[in-house]
Amino acid sequence: MNSFAMEWYLITLIMFTGFYCMLVSRSIVRQLVGLEIVSKAAMLALISAGALANNLIYAQALLITMIVIEVVVVAAGLALLVKNFRLHGAADIWKLDSLKG
Amino acid sequence: MDKGLLAYLIIPLFAAVVIPFAARNRPRLADVLANVTLLAGLANLAWLALRPSMIAGGFADIPGDGFSLLLVAAIYLVALCVTFFSAWFIEEGLPNRQAYYSLILVSVAAMTGVVTTSDFFTLYVFVEVLAVTSFALITTDESAGGIEGALKYFFLTFPASALIIVGLSILMMTLGSLSYENLRIFMSSDIPSGPVTFAAALMLLGFVIKSGVVPFHAWTPDAYQGAYAPVSAHLAGIVTKISGVYAIVKIATLLRFFDGRATAVSEMLMFLGLLSIVVGALAALKQTSFKRMLAFSSISQVGYIVLAAGLGTPLAIMGAVFHLFNHATFKTVLFLNSASLEKAAGTTDMDKLGGMEHPMPWTSWTSVIALLSTAGVPPLSGFWSKLLIILALWESGLRTYAVVALLFSIVTLAYFMIMQRKVFFGRKSAAAESASEVSAPLLAPAVLMSAVIVAVGLLFPYFYTYVRVVAERIIL
Repeated sequence: MNSFAMEWYLITLIMFTGFYCMLVSRSIVRQLVGLEIVSKAAMLALISAGALANNLIYAQALLITMIVIEVVVVAAGLALLVKNFRLHGAADIWKLDSLKG
Repeated sequence: MDKGLLAYLIIPLFAAVVIPFAARNRPRLADVLANVTLLAGLANLAWLALRPSMIAGGFADIPGDGFSLLLVAAIYLVALCVTFFSAWFIEEGLPNRQAYYSLILVSVAAMTGVVTTSDFFTLYVFVEVLAVTSFALITTDESAGGIEGALKYFFLTFPASALIIVGLSILMMTLGSLSYENLRIFMSSDIPSGPVTFAAALMLLGFVIKSGVVPFHAWTPDAYQGAYAPVSAHLAGIVTKISGVYAIVKIATLLRFFDGRATAVSEMLMFLGLLSIVVGALAALKQTSFKRMLAFSSISQVGYIVLAAGLGTPLAIMGAVFHLFNHATFKTVLFLNSASLEKAAGTTDMDKLGGMEHPMPWTSWTSVIALLSTAGVPPLSGFWSKLLIILALWESGLRTYAVVALLFSIVTLAYFMIMQRKVFFGRKSAAAESASEVSAPLLAPAVLMSAVIVAVGLLFPYFYTYVRVVAERIIL
């Protein structure tokens, strides 16, 4: 299990890069990019787990399904982004404050 | 996958595909098709679970673990109420009537998938499908609030999915497969459970975010408040409960919290549940928007379910399952009534409303039934589920938790009484002068759900037998 540590360090690093990107950016588009990085790290985790458990075929099958789903989710998210941009003319996350209480 | 219930997944999906084509030039046909599909499913379920021989036999022959069947029934019941309500609520001008019903039916199919599956990967797939349909449904009326709510929902549930995937991969690595059964067998053995518990904790974190438990509740009030009125009933009544809370209850039973395995996770979950109850109730006290107050109340009620799931004793699981069902009934009534108010008075701002009881007696009194059930007043259904949860807490020696849960049940009553006094009772406002009761078809779903609340409360012994069968099957 020596290779374990190295791969998972990288995955954690990528994941926190994504979270950091989400944390510091004001633009919704950049936040979406950050989200994508996070989800890519999660997918790397899955394929790495498959390789380590000698069950790569199963992991690949799951991963392909996952990629398809992720594309659908991102497409829905982008549609929301475009709608929001048409409404406000800006992609600033801090302007999303009309609902509060 | 529980094959006996597969038809409940496939038929709505098929109807969702048919509607846009069949009803292309006749929008009213979309209403009919959606309602008939759901009504047929519900009639079928009622026959499956409520036929006399089944009740006489103490529900011993129900298929599967019973939990799926109960939740499929709840899904169909709420979705039928929502589609029936929408059929009269949607204005003629709304261009996407067919798309709207298609999306509702796809979300019904996805929810049925979530509750009937027997492995974590399928669970993840259906949860994602459900999330996508929810984004689209929230923005049905293309209002600024809807898009904002949907964006916040998107930005919080997507990282949650990433956490679930990481949990899945660690589970796959340590357990070799992703089926519920393997996890259950592993947890009942004596092998040290460190990595598996960690994987389950990551998945639980993802589902906790998806169900809007307190530290992660930021999206919940916005999504519910911004959503198109009948959609918020669908969302609060069933969608977030299935996509988040169901999975929490399921994982809690699989981790065998009652055996003292995974104690840390159990304690954390109970603490989050209690925090939810407290914060949700206190925040609900000071809201001025009716829908937003209901959303905070929803957070608080989810807290009870998570608290019970975290405790994990058979009695607590019974309470959690029962409260999950009850929450679907009373929250649907309240949200549908808020939609009726919006239609009749044009606003859901509680400061602008008042004395609505005079023009809208039916809406007012169904709200009273639902709020008394939420607050846990006997003999309505909510009383029994809260009683089970508090008894389970007391029995396990967690006196403080039990007392706090009981106290905040009273706070629940307090904020609902404030709401009822501001909106329905009291002096007649300008809005009440011009408003009139909504038409009978719009009242029918709320009245039906209120009848279910009263019936489940009064026929509790039968329901108790059912829930006990469920708890026994999912724990053993």
